[in-house]
Amino acid sequence: MNKSSRDVMTFKGGIHPADSGKVLSENRPTLTAPLLERYQVLLCENVGKPPKPVVNVGDQVGKYQLIAAADGFVSANLHAPTSGKVVKIGEVPGPMGIPAPAIEIEADGEDRAAELFPPLNWETADPKELVKRIADCGLVGMGGASFPSHVKLSPPPDKKVDTLILNGAECEPFLTADHRLMLERPRDVITGARIMARILNVANINIGIEINKRDAVESLETLAEGTNVKIIPLKVRYPQGSEKHLIQAIAGREVPSGGLPADAGCVVQNVATAAACTDAVMKGLPLVERIVTVTGEIVCRPGNWKLRIGTPLLEALRLAGGVTEEPGKILFGGPMMGFAQRSLGVPIAKNTSGILLLTREEALRHRATSCIRCGRCVQGCPMHLSSCLLATAIENGRWDLAQQNHVMDCIECGSCAYVCPAHRPLVQLMRSAKMELRKRKK
Amino acid sequence: MDIMLGTVAVDWKLVAAAVALMAGGGLLLGLIIGVVARCFRVVGDSRVDLVTELLPGANCGGCGKAGCRDFAKSVVSGENPPGKCPVSTREQVSAIALALGVEVGEIVPKKAVVRCSGNLFTSDRVAYYKGINKCSSAMLVGGGPKLCRYGCLGMGDCARKCPFGAIEIINNLAVIHEELCIGCGRCAAVCPRGVIAIVPAAAHVHVFCNSPEKGAQKRQVCRSACLGCGKCVRKDPEKFELTAGLAKVKYDAAELPDMETIEAVGCPTGALATTERHRLAAKKEAAVK
Amino acid sequence: MKYLELTIGAALVNNFVLSRFLGICPFLGVSKRLDTAMGMSGAVIFVMTLASAATAAVYNYLLKFTFRGVAYDLGFLQILLFILIIAALVQVIEIVLQKLSPKLYQALGIYLPLITTNCAVLGAATLNFKGGRGVLDATLFGCFSGVGFALALLLFASIREKLELASPPKAMEGTPIALVTAGILAMAFSGFAGLC
Repeated sequence: MNKSSRDVMTFKGGIHPADSGKVLSENRPTLTAPLLERYQVLLCENVGKPPKPVVNVGDQVGKYQLIAAADGFVSANLHAPTSGKVVKIGEVPGPMGIPAPAIEIEADGEDRAAELFPPLNWETADPKELVKRIADCGLVGMGGASFPSHVKLSPPPDKKVDTLILNGAECEPFLTADHRLMLERPRDVITGARIMARILNVANINIGIEINKRDAVESLETLAEGTNVKIIPLKVRYPQGSEKHLIQAIAGREVPSGGLPADAGCVVQNVATAAACTDAVMKGLPLVERIVTVTGEIVCRPGNWKLRIGTPLLEALRLAGGVTEEPGKILFGGPMMGFAQRSLGVPIAKNTSGILLLTREEALRHRATSCIRCGRCVQGCPMHLSSCLLATAIENGRWDLAQQNHVMDCIECGSCAYVCPAHRPLVQLMRSAKMELRKRKK
Repeated sequence: MDIMLGTVAVDWKLVAAAVALMAGGGLLLGLIIGVVARCFRVVGDSRVDLVTELLPGANCGGCGKAGCRDFAKSVVSGENPPGKCPVSTREQVSAIALALGVEVGEIVPKKAVVRCSGNLFTSDRVAYYKGINKCSSAMLVGGGPKLCRYGCLGMGDCARKCPFGAIEIINNLAVIHEELCIGCGRCAAVCPRGVIAIVPAAAHVHVFCNSPEKGAQKRQVCRSACLGCGKCVRKDPEKFELTAGLAKVKYDAAELPDMETIEAVGCPTGALATTERHRLAAKKEAAVK
Repeated sequence: MKYLELTIGAALVNNFVLSRFLGICPFLGVSKRLDTAMGMSGAVIFVMTLASAATAAVYNYLLKFTFRGVAYDLGFLQILLFILIIAALVQVIEIVLQKLSPKLYQALGIYLPLITTNCAVLGAATLNFKGGRGVLDATLFGCFSGVGFALALLLFASIREKLELASPPKAMEGTPIALVTAGILAMAFSGFAGLC
């Protein structure tokens, strides 16, 4: 039975950005980065409260040792990426453009591991113990959201969750980190899914993968045979990787406006988080490294690297052999939702899935002209918003009109700005409206 | 029957009937209106009318309210002191206070000042910002294109908000024309960096820098920043104070600094200046040494 | 047939604002926002109906009468009397409105007393007089004229709300583009000609 010829699923809306970028790195196997001299581990790269440092300047730490403890429930632990000395607890250039607090570790070259957690048998262990292990190992959403995983895996008792969805869509152009992970560690992904399903006590496990990663689909399908994990091929469409749209495509449910996936009875996790979950439970390894795609037309050797958290951007570029010409823009993430970086000293974090260098031509922003009411943005918006109407309302300062038209539901995916023939800065307008409305609510 | 008015014959019965009808109709309708007015009376606060009469009546909105009547309502309700109206004279404010029996309130005239001297040429940008040309929007993109995180972004949110047109953007720096500013505070409220301060109108000398970072760090990104060297504080501790890397004028001091003070201090970067000098410096297209 | 003319005719074919060009002042003044336009529409329909009824009663029974055997024809007092009645009516409405809905009263502001001098209301009364209509017919005519006015006002207000968000050339911003739109709307309504 040819499973891959099954109907592929999808959602309404969305766009098809030019995706020739993935060929640059999708066939390059992941290489492990050599040990660096310094790592600057960012403290506040997760949703919720930043963790509090538990080490002081001058302390010797081992690899995987806890260096910052979660502050409250919605917070994640932080562990040292290598053994060495803590040389500074201060500010470094952050990925959002503003200086961010970080713990700087000078590596001693030995890469000595500290004491690891004992391995657990996930099939027999108490789900509560499994959640605690995930929290102890500092797992956060590695797809970009950085939401502490143990919080996502502990939905409030009034929300009935019956479906687990793993996000293997990787819909952003150029990025191939999740693709390589699924090809190289398929067993860990499947096990991770089953561990999470056990924690949530659900039987409906789905892994959604876009059909442009056919090899990953087939490889995982073979391994999933005999388990209750279903591999769902998805039509290639942006932003399929958004959790609301995965739920719509796979479970056929709609997350209510202003609601969370748990309101639709689903929990969505990234495949990388699932693999990290397997490491945490079965090997007792805290999360200190991840696969990052370093790519772009002007990168000498685009590829996928296993980088430790705290690797500065400049070092990652060096690994990729440098650039052939001056880049127009350097992004953390993909071209649709990635953040442009102001400094080469920015370190990567647990949620940095890719480093993308755009040429001057690619980064060129045309001058914005008037809206011609073509309606392409309305067709493309995955949240079914009327971007042109919202943009006009926001430009005229009509925050009431913007709120009425659900600007707060915008997921800032960039579909509208991508298709707009007038090159209007739609996403920035939406963000400014959301900022203004949040200020007013206070 | 006709009455003769000169050569015109007038039917007096018709005239009488017309007059009777009009008068009768008028009286009846007047009565109806009177009755209805009595039944549907709305009790308004006569004090609001009284205060509205005493106000200048410019409806400028400088108090932050929608016109003089709105401000009068807020004064009667106790929300604002009568002195909040920046256009009223002392006599007008006293009259209002007397009429209502309230405290006169603060009537120190104020004005706004942009505490930054980093224009396009003296302060550095980290990258090209190509997005919506608004300060609040630029802040969304990594905190804005300027290397200094506390300085003026110069995209004109304040200038657009000022109802009196007192703010001019010169070389990406907001500069306030003192003579037009009445200190309503709208610009300070809308500035996303908090660079604008509302200070007593009598002050003409300010430290045009807003960054509390160390002097050496500031120097790397802006040539006209305050270095925090402390020369001004040492020369005149009554008039200036130093917090972290930033010097400030003591606006509540007995004496405010003036041109002579500036010359005596000899500020190395020119961050200490008069508003006039600041405006001229903003126009200069070369780095201030 | 007569009733068709009184209702559809008054509302659409001979629309007071867009065909007869009466009552332009509130049409342009209150049409910036839909909620004030709706309030104004209600007030105008009310005034026009009552005014038409009252004035029809007056000119049918008060202006032509026989007293002690003498026939009096006070038709020349028509305009004076009509204005008196309309003014009183609007004043009463203003007082009642201030008590019952202060928000609407505030929103309509100056335009409420302007219904008094509004040529639409006086126009309806005069047209009734010219047409020699009875009280019932006159009331119907007044009511549906008001409905036509309301229709034109609401349509225009809806368009103007959208115009506010559009970006016409600087010289056309505000009133100029509104007047052009009103003209186009009038052209559209001329399509009803010959309906009845």
